[in-house]
Amino acid sequence: MIAPKKISITINGQVCQGEQGQTILEIARANNIYIPTLCYLKGLTPWGGCRLCIVEVEGSPKLVPSCATPAVDGSKITTHNERIVAQRKATLELLFSERNHICPICPYNKGDCGLQHQGLIHGITGIRYPYLYPALPVDVTGKYFGMDHNRCILCTRCIRTCDEIEGVHTLDVANRGIKNQIVVDMNTTFGASDTCTQCGACVVACPTGALFDKAAAFRGQWTSCQQVLTTCTECPVGCGLKVHTKENRIVNVWGDPDSPVNTGHLCVKGRYQTWAEPRERIATPLVNGRPATWDEALATIKKAAKVKKAEKALLVAPRLTNETAAVVAAMADKVGQTAMFVGTNEAALCAEPSFSEEALRKLQDADAIIVLGAQPSRDNGVVAARIRVAVRKRGAKLLIFHARKSDLDRYADVAANVVSLESKLWNRIKAVLATAQRPAIVYGPNAMTPIGVTVMERLIGILEANPGGEPLLLGLPISPAALAMSRAGIAAVEEVGPWLDAKPLKFLHIVVGDAPDGGASLLEEKHVPALLGQIDCVVVQASYKSALTDKATVVLPSTIWCEKSGTVTNLEGRQLPLRPVVSVSGEARDDKVILESVFA
Amino acid sequence: MKKTTTTTAPASAPAPAKVKVATMWLSGCSGCHMSLLDIDERILELVKHVDILFSPIVDIKIKDMPQVDVALVEGCVNNTDQEHELKMLRERCKVLIALGDCAVTGNVPSLRNQFALRECLSRAYEQTESTKIACIPNDPVVPKLLPKAHPLQEIVKVDLHIPGCPPDADTIWFALTELLAGRTPQLNEKNMRYD
Repeated sequence: MIAPKKISITINGQVCQGEQGQTILEIARANNIYIPTLCYLKGLTPWGGCRLCIVEVEGSPKLVPSCATPAVDGSKITTHNERIVAQRKATLELLFSERNHICPICPYNKGDCGLQHQGLIHGITGIRYPYLYPALPVDVTGKYFGMDHNRCILCTRCIRTCDEIEGVHTLDVANRGIKNQIVVDMNTTFGASDTCTQCGACVVACPTGALFDKAAAFRGQWTSCQQVLTTCTECPVGCGLKVHTKENRIVNVWGDPDSPVNTGHLCVKGRYQTWAEPRERIATPLVNGRPATWDEALATIKKAAKVKKAEKALLVAPRLTNETAAVVAAMADKVGQTAMFVGTNEAALCAEPSFSEEALRKLQDADAIIVLGAQPSRDNGVVAARIRVAVRKRGAKLLIFHARKSDLDRYADVAANVVSLESKLWNRIKAVLATAQRPAIVYGPNAMTPIGVTVMERLIGILEANPGGEPLLLGLPISPAALAMSRAGIAAVEEVGPWLDAKPLKFLHIVVGDAPDGGASLLEEKHVPALLGQIDCVVVQASYKSALTDKATVVLPSTIWCEKSGTVTNLEGRQLPLRPVVSVSGEARDDKVILESVFA
Repeated sequence: MKKTTTTTAPASAPAPAKVKVATMWLSGCSGCHMSLLDIDERILELVKHVDILFSPIVDIKIKDMPQVDVALVEGCVNNTDQEHELKMLRERCKVLIALGDCAVTGNVPSLRNQFALRECLSRAYEQTESTKIACIPNDPVVPKLLPKAHPLQEIVKVDLHIPGCPPDADTIWFALTELLAGRTPQLNEKNMRYD
């Protein structure tokens, strides 16, 4: 690739270096020259709609929007003079007059709002135009966020984010002129939308209070919050989180724009599900359902654990930190049986754990993506977003082989059930993949079935015969830490029921951690709660109440994601840090500390 | 904006005529007046230079509204009486200041502008959860609500806007001292707010 030509422009008399193709705004920002903007957002296609970034280019009679104007070598630019500022002020006054911008009742006031900030720095006290006071709707049907059209400035940052980052294009503009309005799908509501993934990226992109997080509204301005960077532990992707906290509580969770994993984008799990939903935490240890002290609980366990080694088992959830996993692995000689419980076909997926380096970045550049036996739009939203963007924006081919329908199907060149692949379809697959230069296969647990393996082998065969050669392989377990824990030496067990039944167990310790459903659903599917009655002492180490904690002899409260420190390893093999965001709730303790005191 | 004719005179000169000030409370929550009082002990300095001749805290009838130099008006114009009083004040003052968001933008009282007046009255007097006897007041003594709430500038000429809900006491103090010094107060992000 030829390096872009260097150019030099003069902004306000200052000589600035840049590259051919960069906009005036980009070069100005790189040289710390301030140009006000509202509709510009780094990473999105410039829109040029708000007209705040207008600048004067010598020789041009008109003011030009610097966000959308490529810089020309040698041009002389003025960012602030009487004419420019007068136009910016007029633009702002029109924005203020157009809708009902009532700052005192907006959750995004006091520094959070781009429009308010611009009004203040431009010294706008009153406006010269009549306020229109239009009657506009407020859509609060969405589960996690709402849209107040009264505060919208139609900058389309939400639309571009939805289209270019999440890749679903749920949002768009409807109507003309003064009746312009952001719409969801074909003018429905967030609650009724069948394309919205609830990733909440639009809310972060919104410069005003038009899009607002329900759980965060009126709980503190994000500009006045502390920001803690940590890692999402809800799936193996390991997205960087920027958690906003105030007075030891979470106000909001955004993606960390500097994270190499997700570059600021999150899915509904990381963005909302871990904190914006009410769940019942376990505050203190419980012995036979009654609150107890840690000493009492541990003494009860010690007594019950005085059984033969073969009668003891430790079963852990596939969502522990690297440090806790190391402790569990080292315990194998103290406990008769140690295993982590995983979903169907996940054990095979983790059997030879291989991390796919830089996979998420490479995936976005792939020109043919095969999704085999995985459900990224359900389980790993950020991977699904990368796939959608690669397909919709960069023209990548998409082939989906799965038994279940997903929202990705609509973008697929081929979408088929693995069990019904006929020769005719294989010809089509070959044709679609013929030109693939940078192919990628994203495979999940269901690729590990006999038929899945056959299809995988055949696909790799096709790709290897093509000019693109060997595909990028991205194994996508559902369980967050299954890959890393498997590498740490912890055996994965799918059929927990038979595994338990085969042993003469008297003591069972289950670590379920902070799974949002209490960790119960995976074990409930395997009918584990029903089996627990046969065991003398069942210790459940969990953060939330569930069917498991109800059955336990002793319940030990453990910390949740925002209270933990340590590291996790994502599917790319990156070691990612967990940092405590808030102080530990109640008497909960870290999983590692609990395990060490139980099996000391 | 027209500058005031008054300035503070040197201390040695005979006591200058004080600047005459009026304050008016239209449809607002009185928070802006509270913020004015929040200038605290500086009010002693203020009264050396000004006489507050007309105000909700001065016992005077509307019909006796005096001529003043500066008028601070809180709240927006919601009914016929307020419209009349504001117009009267405009005729009798040199500099009219819209104090606070209600006076500047309409703010919270203007939320009703999205609805028809009849709907608003019905909601307030006939449909509330605590309504016992549904009756919209129509006594001639009660001023008639205007179809819309208006920021001051839609009714009269406004010389200076001080936004804020309420404006900070320091902002009010800054604006008043600048006016007393014969300057037009320049508000920016450092001394102004909208919320």
